[in-house]
Amino acid sequence: MTDEPTNRNDTSVERTGDTAEPTETGSKSDSALGPLPDGGRTEAERPGREGIFEDDREVELDRGPFQRWVANAITNPRRVYRSLFYVATVFFLFTTLFPFYWLLMVALTPEGRQQDIVLTPNGFNPGAFVEVFQVIPFHWYMFNSFVIATASTIVVLVIASLAGYAFGRLEFPGKVPLMLLVLVISFFPPAAFFIPLNDLFNTQFAVLEPITGDGSLYNTPGAMVLPLSAIFMPLAIFILTTFYSQIPDGLEDAARVEGTTRLGALFRVIVPLSAPGVATAGVLTFIAVYNEFFFSFLMTDGQPENWAPILEGILGYQGQYEVMYHLMAAASIIGVIPVAILVIVAQEKIVSGLTAGALKE
Amino acid sequence: MARVRLENVTKRYEDVTAVDDVSLEVEDGEFVTFVGPSGCGKSTTMETVAGLTRPTEGRVFIGDDEVTDLAPKDRGVSMVFQNIALFPHMDVFENISFGLRLRTYDDDEIRRRVEGAAEIVQLEGMLERMPDELSGGQRQRVAIARAIVRNPNVFLMDEPLANLDAKLRVHMRTELQRLHRELGTTIIYVTHDQAEAMTMSDRIAVLNEGRLQQIAPPLTCYNEPSNLFVAGFIGSPSMNFADGTVVGDGIETPHFDVDVDRETLAGATDGDEITVGVRPEDVHLAENARSIEAASDPIDVRTDVLEPMGDEVFVYLLLTESAERSMEEDPASSSDQLLMSVTPDTEIRENQTVEIVLDRSKIHLFETQTGEAIVHGITDRPDRESESTTEEVDS
Repeated sequence: MTDEPTNRNDTSVERTGDTAEPTETGSKSDSALGPLPDGGRTEAERPGREGIFEDDREVELDRGPFQRWVANAITNPRRVYRSLFYVATVFFLFTTLFPFYWLLMVALTPEGRQQDIVLTPNGFNPGAFVEVFQVIPFHWYMFNSFVIATASTIVVLVIASLAGYAFGRLEFPGKVPLMLLVLVISFFPPAAFFIPLNDLFNTQFAVLEPITGDGSLYNTPGAMVLPLSAIFMPLAIFILTTFYSQIPDGLEDAARVEGTTRLGALFRVIVPLSAPGVATAGVLTFIAVYNEFFFSFLMTDGQPENWAPILEGILGYQGQYEVMYHLMAAASIIGVIPVAILVIVAQEKIVSGLTAGALKE
Repeated sequence: MARVRLENVTKRYEDVTAVDDVSLEVEDGEFVTFVGPSGCGKSTTMETVAGLTRPTEGRVFIGDDEVTDLAPKDRGVSMVFQNIALFPHMDVFENISFGLRLRTYDDDEIRRRVEGAAEIVQLEGMLERMPDELSGGQRQRVAIARAIVRNPNVFLMDEPLANLDAKLRVHMRTELQRLHRELGTTIIYVTHDQAEAMTMSDRIAVLNEGRLQQIAPPLTCYNEPSNLFVAGFIGSPSMNFADGTVVGDGIETPHFDVDVDRETLAGATDGDEITVGVRPEDVHLAENARSIEAASDPIDVRTDVLEPMGDEVFVYLLLTESAERSMEEDPASSSDQLLMSVTPDTEIRENQTVEIVLDRSKIHLFETQTGEAIVHGITDRPDRESESTTEEVDS
């Protein structure tokens, strides 16, 4: 009686190697019911982990290199994760950075030799980065874009903070439908808003005359800040709602007892503690507005003095008889720099925001 | 410094009444504790004083001014929260000075007052640290410093010690009492821990289900609870209760009788339901009962479980041999069991038959239906010469 389960146990170990573990567990549970299945041998003598390990090595001799690699991966999954991480990183870096590299090659190639650029420029002409500003006032376009993107970001963050506070921290009837409505707006294509907005912005209002001259918003930053803020607002509201709802009530109560209003508590306590969320919403909005094509292209006449953004500047290198691709490429690279700086700065902010928030609750 | 007065304060949420018609007055410089089980409305009551919650009905006064509709910042109150609620993005100095900086004090004045407050709570030299670099007790001190630095009229504390470990809690308890003595500010303190309530306060307000049950000095609540709830809530372990009925010159409970003069039970008629309450320390072994002036008739019981606490031993007594030990019922409320506390040198074993007596001067009688107290301490025994004891209800 005592020998029988022992045999079963041993053979299973020999036969399948790795699967010995569950079999042994099974026989352990048997032992609770009857006599010891291993014939009363002590723990050390039993074909336990050490035994399996030896078996494994013997079995490995029969395997090919791929099977060996698979077996290795199963026993040591971290190596696989690490190598997958490197593969993914390299792939990601290649797809994001190669276009920049190629843009740089195009920018460095002298005018008229743009054909057949593969990995190296046909010649070397760093002067293109200066020429960019001489042909058209590209810095002016950049300034316009920067102002428009900054203004939109500020408008979005302030209004979305108020909305995020209401949605995230207050209870009121109709909260969920209202939130959904806000989100639905972001699903509309911008083109759906364009014709009425264009009509509106070309209408002259006497009230606006002292500000815009002719009383219409066309050719002013307002023509881009207003629609773009509205379009990117829902995403910011959504992000900030999530963040603001996670700040403990006690902190807001403490701020209010200490002497702030609800609004004061929002901007002095809740917003600083949600720095990662605010930074995320802000950066996303800034980049989206900075890169935006549709309204940027159609809400001005393309002149830098009329607040035409970067996009119009880049298209400005396109003449009737020639397209100065190397200047377009150089301008594109220059145009990316502010956003790249912003992301690097904001990234630090996000990390510091995450580590500083030692909330207890 | 100011008085705080609540007039018929009621707070209703959609289907729950959190605070139900609470009226009370806290004197200038008084330390009053709101105590009660979870969800009894004590925190909500305090929030109506702080202004964080607007009462559905009723009025709140601080000093001579009605503040019912004022924002928290305009009430001259400060508050210490259960979760401490330090601003994690500010260092200790900024935390303490937060309220001052909002009120356009000049920098020298702010620094002077913050350092003064830090000295009171013994936080000198830590003003540059961030909250996450502090221990639990230190954070608590910062929260207290933040509250006292503005010289508030009223100091509100919502379970400030609940998140501290037991040893620190006892320490902070004495610190808070010292602080109250030094500052003399009106303090309203919320806790569910009756030990905190008993040790610290001038008066305690016992709340249950949103209603104020009793507001009185701690020992009055202990010795003369106004109703069954207060009697059961104040004191640990809880008071023993036995449901009985009035029969002749006494009260019969299922397992023992208590002789009572009918005049004491003014207006009671035979068959009226009365609950007898007696605290564990007022149950004595008959053999040790010589010193008790007004002992009841001996009752035969069997000891069940002993709980040695060091300074005393709690003995669970079964009133009947056949008493089923029900696991779900609170022993103190079960008519079949009694809890007795004896000194540790008492010779007593588990599962032993003993005789006990109750100290009649410490027996409380309550109307079972309403829970209202009828009398605290039965002094006159009809079958003996009338012994006058000092425990007669005096106030």
